[in-house]
Amino acid sequence: MAASVRHLLKPWTPSLCLVRWSRYNSYYLDPDPSKDARVPDSELSPEQKELQELKTVRRIKAALSSDTSSPFSDPLMSKFINMMMQDGSKILARGIMTQPREEIECSPHSVFQQALENCKPIIGLASVQKGGKSYQVPVPLTDNRRGFLAMKWMITECRDNKHRRTHMYEKLSQELLAAFANEGNVVKRKHDLHRMAEANRAYAHYRWW
Amino acid sequence: SRPPSHNIVPTSLILCATYHSEGHSGQYYTLPPTHIQKLFPYGLPPRFQLQIKTFNEGCVMVRPPALELISYLKRADYSKPPLRYVLYGDIGTGKTMSLCHALHYCYSQGWLIVHVPDAHLWVKNCKELLPSSSRPSRFDQPIQASQWLKNFKITNERFLSKLKTTQRYVWTKRESTEKGQPLGELIDQGVNRMKSSSDVVGAVLRELRLQAGGATEGEGAFKLAVAVDGVNALWGKTSLKKEDRTMCEPEELTLIHNLRKMMKNNWSGGAILTALSQTGSVFKPRSAYLPSELLGEEGFDNMEPFVPVSVSNYNEKEFESCYLYYLDRNWLQHPHSRSEEGKKELIFLSNKNPSILERLCAFL
Repeated sequence: MAASVRHLLKPWTPSLCLVRWSRYNSYYLDPDPSKDARVPDSELSPEQKELQELKTVRRIKAALSSDTSSPFSDPLMSKFINMMMQDGSKILARGIMTQPREEIECSPHSVFQQALENCKPIIGLASVQKGGKSYQVPVPLTDNRRGFLAMKWMITECRDNKHRRTHMYEKLSQELLAAFANEGNVVKRKHDLHRMAEANRAYAHYRWW
Repeated sequence: SRPPSHNIVPTSLILCATYHSEGHSGQYYTLPPTHIQKLFPYGLPPRFQLQIKTFNEGCVMVRPPALELISYLKRADYSKPPLRYVLYGDIGTGKTMSLCHALHYCYSQGWLIVHVPDAHLWVKNCKELLPSSSRPSRFDQPIQASQWLKNFKITNERFLSKLKTTQRYVWTKRESTEKGQPLGELIDQGVNRMKSSSDVVGAVLRELRLQAGGATEGEGAFKLAVAVDGVNALWGKTSLKKEDRTMCEPEELTLIHNLRKMMKNNWSGGAILTALSQTGSVFKPRSAYLPSELLGEEGFDNMEPFVPVSVSNYNEKEFESCYLYYLDRNWLQHPHSRSEEGKKELIFLSNKNPSILERLCAFL
């Protein structure tokens, strides 16, 4: 038992060269910086007590420097800022992100979340090769993938389709407000994807997974 | 106006600035929109202007430094040379706002206002630097000068027809302003003919100096308030270059030279209100905020003797007041910021610095 655990804990270097995968072993747990983690024992159900005990015993990954324990931090917002960041300048990306929140006056937090919800596609397309020809097959998407696509479209839209002199944060705030109202280019792109998937429904049985 | 429930709740009282006293410290008062348009076309800090646009009203907090300044202005003797007041403090603590508060008091008392919103703008980033038409070793800045004359005209319209020039000014071979012409004509001359606008600024300042305390007859008497923000620009270095690529000294700029003459107290019948500023300054470290550091030796010698007024971060009561004002205006949207913990977090993050608090609350 001890030997197998030691085997899990020793530094694990993968045989393949991995670019975006985590260097951590799967034994490590994610850190939980929120203040709710410190709830007194009497209020927890038995499963949660087990979980707490597990956390005290198992190894935990190091927290990122952008994680805060304050409720002001938003995981969705952090993800969006990371995606918008170029050359590692998180300060610039965060600065650009705070300005549309100033422009959007009524409750920017919920506007941002609702706008991204409206941009998420329900169904996606995957390229499947059959008989020498590749077909676009409609395919269900995982939640992560949907969120990623929504944010990616938002960022590319704001970077590309704008007047030369508009700033990123102005275009972002306009797009977020439009997406909140289900108009605008990003929502249009989502509808285009849905239409393509609808048009290609004949090939749906090419999917084997 | 909202009725007060206890001391700390801010009340937007449309008070005349003469009635502000120690007891009102921490409360907000509204600047009347007509006054804002006339008095501060470019005087207020840009973030505050955005706030006015968002809230549709300009509310200024009454704070001890401004109250101190106003009490000095009330008790000063105006037959003697003017007193120089210097507002100093760390970045973002409210020096410009206190200056504007005191200036609003002067305006409501009917003084003539000479307001330079930011002297640093005259010392850097000038697109056109012409050699002066009147003196060979000086340089003119026509755009800045004409902009300032336009603002001066908007602020002091009622005085322009009353005041007359005391001597003849010759601008070019064909243009001159005779003795006894109203000041409005002099200003129009400067606004229309950009080339001589810097000299016009010098002439206007000279006229005001001569006439400020002189006339004791009922009609002509007026008090002069000279308000300069970023006064350390007058004695620092410039970032402008002459045509032969050498650095320009501040004395060689007409506007700066004339403004320095205003700063000397060889006239009477007014007050000189100034504020130091590190944010726009050229070649000064960010940690410098004391008068001796920012003014430099030359500036300090010129400005001495002066009355220093220090401006600091909000204290507990003022922070409460500001927080409740933002809550009142629905500026703090995030649900967590309305709780006690959120408030403690805001105190921690901003260290009760007014400008940082404003920026934080802007995106919450």
